[in-house]
Amino acid sequence: MKGLIKKDLFMIRSNCKILLILFIVYLIMTIEGNDFAMFLLPFMSIMLMISTFSYDSYNKWTSYAITLPNGREKSVRAKYLATLLIALVTTIFTLILLIAVSYFKTNTINMEEILENMLGMLFGIFVIQAFMYPSIYKFGVEKARIGIFILVFGVAIIGGVLSKLFDFSKIADMFKFLNQYSLIVIPLAMFGLLYLSYKVSEKIYQKKEF
Amino acid sequence: MENILEIKNLSKKYKDFQLKDINIKLPKGMIMGLIGENGAGKTTTIKAILDIIKDYQGEIKVFGLDNRIDEKKIKEDIGVVLDDMFFPEILMPSDIDSIMREIYKNWDSSLYFKYLNDFSLPIKKEIKTLSKGMRKKLEIATCLAHHPKLLILDEPTSGLDPVARNEVIDIFLDFIQNEECSILLSSHITTDLEHIADYITFINQGEILLSKTKDELMEQYGVVKCGLEDFLKIDKNDRLRYKKNRYEYEVLVENKKEFNKKYHMTTIDKMTLEDLMVLMIKGVK
Amino acid sequence: MDIIISNSSEVPIYEQIKEQIKEKILSSELLAGDLLPSIRALAKDLRCSVITTKNAYEELVNEGYVVVVAAKGFYVAEINRQLVYEEQLNKIETLLDSVVNIAKINHIKKETINSLLDILYEEEK
Repeated sequence: MKGLIKKDLFMIRSNCKILLILFIVYLIMTIEGNDFAMFLLPFMSIMLMISTFSYDSYNKWTSYAITLPNGREKSVRAKYLATLLIALVTTIFTLILLIAVSYFKTNTINMEEILENMLGMLFGIFVIQAFMYPSIYKFGVEKARIGIFILVFGVAIIGGVLSKLFDFSKIADMFKFLNQYSLIVIPLAMFGLLYLSYKVSEKIYQKKEF
Repeated sequence: MENILEIKNLSKKYKDFQLKDINIKLPKGMIMGLIGENGAGKTTTIKAILDIIKDYQGEIKVFGLDNRIDEKKIKEDIGVVLDDMFFPEILMPSDIDSIMREIYKNWDSSLYFKYLNDFSLPIKKEIKTLSKGMRKKLEIATCLAHHPKLLILDEPTSGLDPVARNEVIDIFLDFIQNEECSILLSSHITTDLEHIADYITFINQGEILLSKTKDELMEQYGVVKCGLEDFLKIDKNDRLRYKKNRYEYEVLVENKKEFNKKYHMTTIDKMTLEDLMVLMIKGVK
Repeated sequence: MDIIISNSSEVPIYEQIKEQIKEKILSSELLAGDLLPSIRALAKDLRCSVITTKNAYEELVNEGYVVVVAAKGFYVAEINRQLVYEEQLNKIETLLDSVVNIAKINHIKKETINSLLDILYEEEK
């Protein structure tokens, strides 16, 4: 399985230089006070992983991998582990950016707020990936990409409309008590979601024919 | 274990195609050539052996073991070249080495790099920059570097020029010098098989039309060329297929010696695999 | 050792191999006790199937030209020259038999045949 993870990392290696340059640009932009830039990195990490799926399917690696002595389940597991690894690296870089913002804006480092921001961001990545991977395994990259696009926009629009029609503040109040536990609840929720997604993907890949 | 590969009653249904009752036995130390048209079922059979397709009926044994129960163990000793399936093309040959080292217990880096060198393949260049022939050679180097005992090769010489094809065939012949090793290879370049294959299995429309040693096939089968008058003399049971050309009839016979004794027709041509394929598919019964 | 295989010949490849090795043994190019290439090595060098070379060797063994030494390989056998000589003579006799037959049917004189033989022998030289 180590080999399979290596493969995904090798695949995004060529993008790393660009990413490093981007990081420096973002850092400068962040120091200048544009804090939107820090959300670009997590976004990039998703795109990177999706691009590995594209190459996999373009060269039919997904079928070739079955001829190797790993078993199908390892192929899926390696993908998720590579994702976690990339997320970890992204987290470190984003933390640097967040700390920089906090420091340059307020001259203090509010660690709690930073961690909450960080977690929120990671949660965002993982939710998208948790939905995206099984759909990629099921329908292929192209269809999954379009599907997720529609899903995200659909949710945003419906959410927007609903929030105009109803007052959600009461429901939001109900969950307020969770806030104080957010540092525990959010990680639990996102890893749980990712694990569930992994299990679904594995089921799909196990049955898949090429 | 006499047979390195044994397929029993393999069947698989698709919407528009089905594999019917495929039976194959490949003994140790032998090369079997799968021939047939595109879409005849060669690749589907190969995919079933490798468990790339699922939900088929029948039994497949490799090295005497069930291909699904002992999947991982079996795959340690199989090398494959599949049509158009390989590593993502943004990787480099050197990456393949460091990935495969983690995947196969027996991966032999020095052997792999020796093949790259023999084939004059670059080490640090993305696969996508390689020509089609070079890619094929890279696939072949990759399939051999873990000292497999069974090679499963789907169209391994397609896209190669005659010189490269010769090189590759020499490598397969080297591989078979070890009598514990076997090769199953599909090809529509029948001349390659005509020389090196020990067994020929002919698949058409999802069914095996014949599976014999090549020597039997080449010695017994023949193509008779004759005019209408002679053609009418031939008993229906004595011909396998026939084809009417503009000036002659071509008749495929199963036993040319006996045919000769019975009919004394002089023009029995030595049959090539290509003749066999064309007459079996396009000929009339 | 040269073995020349013709893929277009009507003669099966295993027979071509067999006959050529036999010839080499009879002409003493291969001597008793010489080790022949292995079945697989020969198949590789001739680019033919393993079954083909195996058949050729098996027939050579059956006809007494080659012996198998277990786990070692195929060796040229000690051949009985007298026996081979008689065998060859037999062959010539059967061939001449048909010559005589054709001659008799067509009323060709014995002298004509003799002179033909003389001419052929001369040409050989």
